[in-house]
Amino acid sequence: MATDFDVEFIEDTEREARFLVRGITPAFANGIRRAILADVPTLSIDTVRFVENSSVLFDEVLALRMGLVPLTTPEGEFDEDDTVTLAIDVEGPATAYSGDLVSPDPQVEPADENIPLIELKDGQRLEAEAEAKLGRGRDHAKFQGGVAVGYRHLQHVEVGDDASEYGEDEAQIVRGVIEDGDELVATSEFGHDLTNRYPGKEVTVEDVPNAFVFHVESDGSMPVDELVLRAVDTLSTRADELREKVSL
Amino acid sequence: MVPVRCFTCGTVIGEHWEEFKARAANKEGDEDPAEVLDDLGLDRHCCRRMFVSHQDLVDVVSPYQ
Repeated sequence: MATDFDVEFIEDTEREARFLVRGITPAFANGIRRAILADVPTLSIDTVRFVENSSVLFDEVLALRMGLVPLTTPEGEFDEDDTVTLAIDVEGPATAYSGDLVSPDPQVEPADENIPLIELKDGQRLEAEAEAKLGRGRDHAKFQGGVAVGYRHLQHVEVGDDASEYGEDEAQIVRGVIEDGDELVATSEFGHDLTNRYPGKEVTVEDVPNAFVFHVESDGSMPVDELVLRAVDTLSTRADELREKVSL
Repeated sequence: MVPVRCFTCGTVIGEHWEEFKARAANKEGDEDPAEVLDDLGLDRHCCRRMFVSHQDLVDVVSPYQ
């Protein structure tokens, strides 16, 4: 059963995207959402060897902070057991930033450079080797490539007659994306209030069946569109795996 | 130290902390904290509370090593 999905981007930046998918079931939409959160492999620091840590935080706390820093993850370059060893060496008085993590591989770098890891006072020093490995969001939140992933039904707006003159003057709040004829409009463009867009009109709002508007943000390990594609790939890999296992 | 990510949604927020601290009125600056947070692109209330409620303790702890 091969059906084509109709995908349309409403908003698309490096780290944040909003797109409409038509022709998918609610179950499949949720499958994609969960795959984005839990199934896309990303690199994160997992093991840290401390050479010196005289800062105010304990080794394990610092290791967790380093782990949460998103690292850029090139597609197809790494296998499950590969590691990348990053080094950090900062002497106080100074603040150790995520940008101070030195990587041997220019494809694997901290996605954000300005995350303070620890503030070092006079005489304090941090020197460590950190091993990054490939992992999935279901094992630890630091491997999550997508953050705040959600979807809503596309809303269809039908403009009717003029509103009665003495009717209630109430705001009509909608959130998400509406479909007005062929035009897709994000509700933030008119303050989420339909009475701003259609003053003095009766409007009816209905969910469009099997049309979902996804809102995805990436933590920086990869661009959003790549993240979604990889998530869909993991879904089909797992479906293939299942088919192989159950067929005798 | 400020948390690297938002506890609830996982957005990386640490990188904005120093700018927030320098600009917002309840820390060191004189701007409205709400406007600074809008400016930084933190628009969910889970991420905003991370900054509004954060207190750095490094300076308090550092003399006792």
